[in-house]
Amino acid sequence: MVKTSRSSELAIILPAYNEASVIKQVIKGVQQVFNATRYSYKIIVVDDGSQDETAKIAVDAGAYVIKHIINTGTGGATATGLSYARKSNVKIAVTMDADGQHNPKDVLKGILKIEEQTADLLIGSRLTDKNGMTKIKLIGNRGLSFVTYLLFGVYVSDSQSGLRIFSEVALNKLRWKTSGYEFCSEMLWRAKQQNLRIDEFSIQSIYTDYSKSKGQNNWNAFNIIVALLQRRIREIVSE
Amino acid sequence: MSRYIILLLLNVPFIIAGLVSTTINYKLSKISKLRFLFRAAFWLIIFVGLASTKTIYEFLFSNKLTRTEPLSLFDVIEITGIIGIFFIVNKTRARMHNLERKVQELNQELSIKLSSRD
Repeated sequence: MVKTSRSSELAIILPAYNEASVIKQVIKGVQQVFNATRYSYKIIVVDDGSQDETAKIAVDAGAYVIKHIINTGTGGATATGLSYARKSNVKIAVTMDADGQHNPKDVLKGILKIEEQTADLLIGSRLTDKNGMTKIKLIGNRGLSFVTYLLFGVYVSDSQSGLRIFSEVALNKLRWKTSGYEFCSEMLWRAKQQNLRIDEFSIQSIYTDYSKSKGQNNWNAFNIIVALLQRRIREIVSE
Repeated sequence: MSRYIILLLLNVPFIIAGLVSTTINYKLSKISKLRFLFRAAFWLIIFVGLASTKTIYEFLFSNKLTRTEPLSLFDVIEITGIIGIFFIVNKTRARMHNLERKVQELNQELSIKLSSRD
């Protein structure tokens, strides 16, 4: 393990909302994997106005915590985390779910892939290894990926994945306007507009009763589609 | 004065305001060319539609495609009201949207600044 006083090379961002029961475990899991590597890293938890002890537990576990004054949604929390990473001059930024759904080893795998400089934005796809994903969720995720393709002309197999890795170029260029779950698709669109190279890699999802209960409700897919449609139309007709 | 002329005169200020606002936003690089063209086309279509109301009505009536009465003063007020409300709603929505974005940016910046003080 190499730890230096210089700024971190990596920012691992965890947008979190009421995750007090699992956040410590997730942070420790990341630390366990990354302490055994050559990377200097910083875990950034963006507490999106939680009503529980998420922020306090995250600080105690060794993460840097940014507390949102008001709840904005996962898109807003991710934007805040990336904005902080940009200001900290990190080379690579990662976003991952705070509910323990992602395996930190997959994050490491993605970082190694982005260091090959063949992509600027790397999406961790849960759909190549569907272990534990219910059929209805599978249909929902595939459907949203298809809608993303129809509206924005970008296809990735798992457009709603929270595990995303950003090169320095992507980190500096990417901005989006939506703040809810629909930001996942909008981000891909913005990446395309900025001529960023988008790629995906296979990840394993850890489905527990907790992560299943925290994940998106399938009915929310309709809200996401409506929000994406609005965003697409608004882009043409209004400011 | 013909009611068709009154209709046009009452609505031309909204159309001019819409076109001027769109052009200014485009020249100040606040909107893309595509959006400028879409919005300019929208106001021009309204203008052409209002300017040719009489011609359209006469065409439809002579071809027995409509049996409605010619434009009444109430119709003129009603159409002007709808276009006026549309203009105001569109402006308000754009302002609300900008405000929402600013609040979001403020929340983001303030959260980062406050966290660095802790």
